[in-house]
Amino acid sequence: MSAILSVRDLTVRFGGVTAVDGVGFAVEAGTLLGLIGPNGAGKTTVMRAITGIVSPGEGTVELAGRRITGLPTHARVRLGLGLSQQLVRPFRGMTLIENVAFAAGHALTRGALGAFAAVGRSKQRARARELLELVGIAGRAEERPDAVPLGVLKRMEVARALALDPKVLLLDEPLAGLNSGEAATLADTVVALNARGLTIVLIEHNLSEVMRICGRLVVLDNGRVIGEGAPREVMADRRVRAAYLGAEVGDAAA
Amino acid sequence: MEALLGQYDVSLVRTAAIAVIMALSLNMITGFCGQISLGHAAFMGVGAYASVVLNIEGLGFVLATLAGMAIAGLFGLIVGLTSLRVRHDFLAITTMGVAFLFRGIVEQMPALKETDGFSGYPLPDYGIYGYMGVTLAAAALVLALSVYIRRSWMGFTFGSIADDEDTARIVGIDVARFKLAAFVLGTGLAGLAGSLYAHQTTIIQAENFGFIESITVLSMVVVGGVGSIVGVVVAAIVLSLLPLWFQFIGDYKLLFYGGLLFLMMRFAPDGLAGLIERALRALRERNAPRASAGAGQ
Amino acid sequence: MTEIALLVQGLLDGSIYALIAVGLTLVYGLLRVLHVAHAGLFTLGGYVGVVVTNETGSLVLALAAAMALAGLVGMAIYRLVYQPILHYPPYVALIASIGLFIAMQEGFRFYDEQGVSYVTAPLQGTVAFAGQRLQVAKIVTFFGAIALLAGLGFLAARTRTGVAWRATVTQPRMAASFGIDIIRVRYLNFFIGSALAAAAGVMVSLTTNLVEPTSGDVWSYKALAIIVLGGLGSMRGTLIACFALGVIESFGTTSVLGEIMNRDAIAFAFLILVLMVRPQGLFARA
Repeated sequence: MSAILSVRDLTVRFGGVTAVDGVGFAVEAGTLLGLIGPNGAGKTTVMRAITGIVSPGEGTVELAGRRITGLPTHARVRLGLGLSQQLVRPFRGMTLIENVAFAAGHALTRGALGAFAAVGRSKQRARARELLELVGIAGRAEERPDAVPLGVLKRMEVARALALDPKVLLLDEPLAGLNSGEAATLADTVVALNARGLTIVLIEHNLSEVMRICGRLVVLDNGRVIGEGAPREVMADRRVRAAYLGAEVGDAAA
Repeated sequence: MEALLGQYDVSLVRTAAIAVIMALSLNMITGFCGQISLGHAAFMGVGAYASVVLNIEGLGFVLATLAGMAIAGLFGLIVGLTSLRVRHDFLAITTMGVAFLFRGIVEQMPALKETDGFSGYPLPDYGIYGYMGVTLAAAALVLALSVYIRRSWMGFTFGSIADDEDTARIVGIDVARFKLAAFVLGTGLAGLAGSLYAHQTTIIQAENFGFIESITVLSMVVVGGVGSIVGVVVAAIVLSLLPLWFQFIGDYKLLFYGGLLFLMMRFAPDGLAGLIERALRALRERNAPRASAGAGQ
Repeated sequence: MTEIALLVQGLLDGSIYALIAVGLTLVYGLLRVLHVAHAGLFTLGGYVGVVVTNETGSLVLALAAAMALAGLVGMAIYRLVYQPILHYPPYVALIASIGLFIAMQEGFRFYDEQGVSYVTAPLQGTVAFAGQRLQVAKIVTFFGAIALLAGLGFLAARTRTGVAWRATVTQPRMAASFGIDIIRVRYLNFFIGSALAAAAGVMVSLTTNLVEPTSGDVWSYKALAIIVLGGLGSMRGTLIACFALGVIESFGTTSVLGEIMNRDAIAFAFLILVLMVRPQGLFARA
């Protein structure tokens, strides 16, 4: 019954523009939640406020009952937030497996002294290999980011976020830029991860996949929540449809 | 011993060893952690002045050196804190400012400003070869430390920060803490070099720890290949000794440094290490031709 | 020294900083490169100014020659040094620039290690103002700098070239699609900036009557600090920062601080302080 991630009265202003206005929602443990809405609805801003990249003017964010508003990003990650971003940012100087292994060593990288004292990487590499297999790219483990296609990088980012042993996984447009085959595969992976009990929050434009895999949806428009609940109900809501059809129709099914 | 190494050779060894310590310590800040510092010589100066002053106060060479390192590291912490708020170009300018601040303050303070510099401190009585041994041992220690750090998770983390600071945060890295660690380590070791330098001569002058000297150390790191340990060591030895070996280079020392820096950046920005790496890769590809992974540059 | 005199002195120095800093800001705004070698053009201007004045007796001719030559050298520096390495990470250009600067200094040293002086220095003499004697040369410099900067401002605002230039600095891609030749604009930037630095070099040589290889050093390091202070790329911020620094140095050296820090240390301490409070500079553009 307790939400593992909750957002309350979140308001974010940039200069004179209110990008997010009084947004609130709760995510129960084990849910696969989709955060959707037309372009410019404020979804990414909400995500950034949750991760700490952006500071809200008002409102709170709680993770597992603990207030995380005001904490720096790395602290939130250590409290259990894992995320993959819209624009993939791998460590370009490391191979894919090193990227994930680095995250897997998070217990060793808390502080400088601890990191100084720790030397072996084999345990973390083994864990990284497991995770890369989980997302289906173990075959490309030793390659560098600039040698692999976007779909592979996106999956590596998911693996890297998983390596942090998160309580909640935030995925910002994980399917963007992928063709329908790749998108379906990654979406299936997300479902499988959720089936093992991991709470996942997804921002996505790809509505067909979202409808297919999400257990619950929260719809944003113009910085406000305009719908919440089971996918079918939410998409049948008139306000939601108006918001989407008022925007570009072509947006709906990428 | 005298048959193998005359007094002149000993001074060469000492010079090279001290240069290696300076270059490797800067490499930790700039190479491992990606934070540019144009004022590294100032920390050598802090170590030099602090250690000789404390030596005069009666601490003795060893303790004074350790204390000098700590003080240099403390200043490094302060500069490191400033580095947190600024990036890249701003950081370069701030660290450059540090170099000028050091000279500007030391040259102005009546206690430290004598006509030619600061002198009158006791020299350790290890003898010429003993002292050479000490500097060599120190350089070896710093080298071992560099290698260890690179293999450790500290090095792994530094690398992630140098690679992409924002992404490092997303995998839970307290970037500020690690940057500070890099600064404190690097500047503390520069303090070590400073003390070793000061105690091999009878007088030290603030102008030996200024902007140009900082650039000289930076050029060793850059020419060697930012981040590479072997490259930096080789470059430090060669660049510090070349002007002494060849007198004509000595007269044109600055022109040589300047030209070298410029040419390296223009034609081989990844330094000697990069050049060698590329040469090796080219050789490997010629010996075992197959489609490369498409990572061509 | 009275307050007014200190203020005036500070403004006079500020005008020199302004002439140097403009070029630096121009280059930074366009290329995001800290053009350390700019200092060499200051010194070049000084050398040319002295040598030509000694040969021809005409300061005006010397000034024109210095500015023209420096402008050409500046353009060459862009073409040979920066253009080929712009695609590398920024520290590469910075270090190349530092290397070039050091090499240039040595070049001057080979030409004449002792430095060059005027046979008969023009514009000597002082003028009384607010209970203080101010050098005529400095006053001429101040008004000369204002004139040059105003001319630049006019160019930027009223002429087609100027408009094209401003467009390129603020929106390079859009400017290109409008058919503006970015490369030409860059050459123009380097020419103007270098010419102004050379003018500063000539003017300072009038007050010191000695141009040495290291003459450009401190002015230029400070000018770099200034453009950072002003908020890299912001012309207005830079100009304000120039005069602010001149005044701060003036008051700083005669205050208690002057006991423990020399002039340069005061300048850099001020810089670092400002950056701590406002890491993006005083007038940074968004």
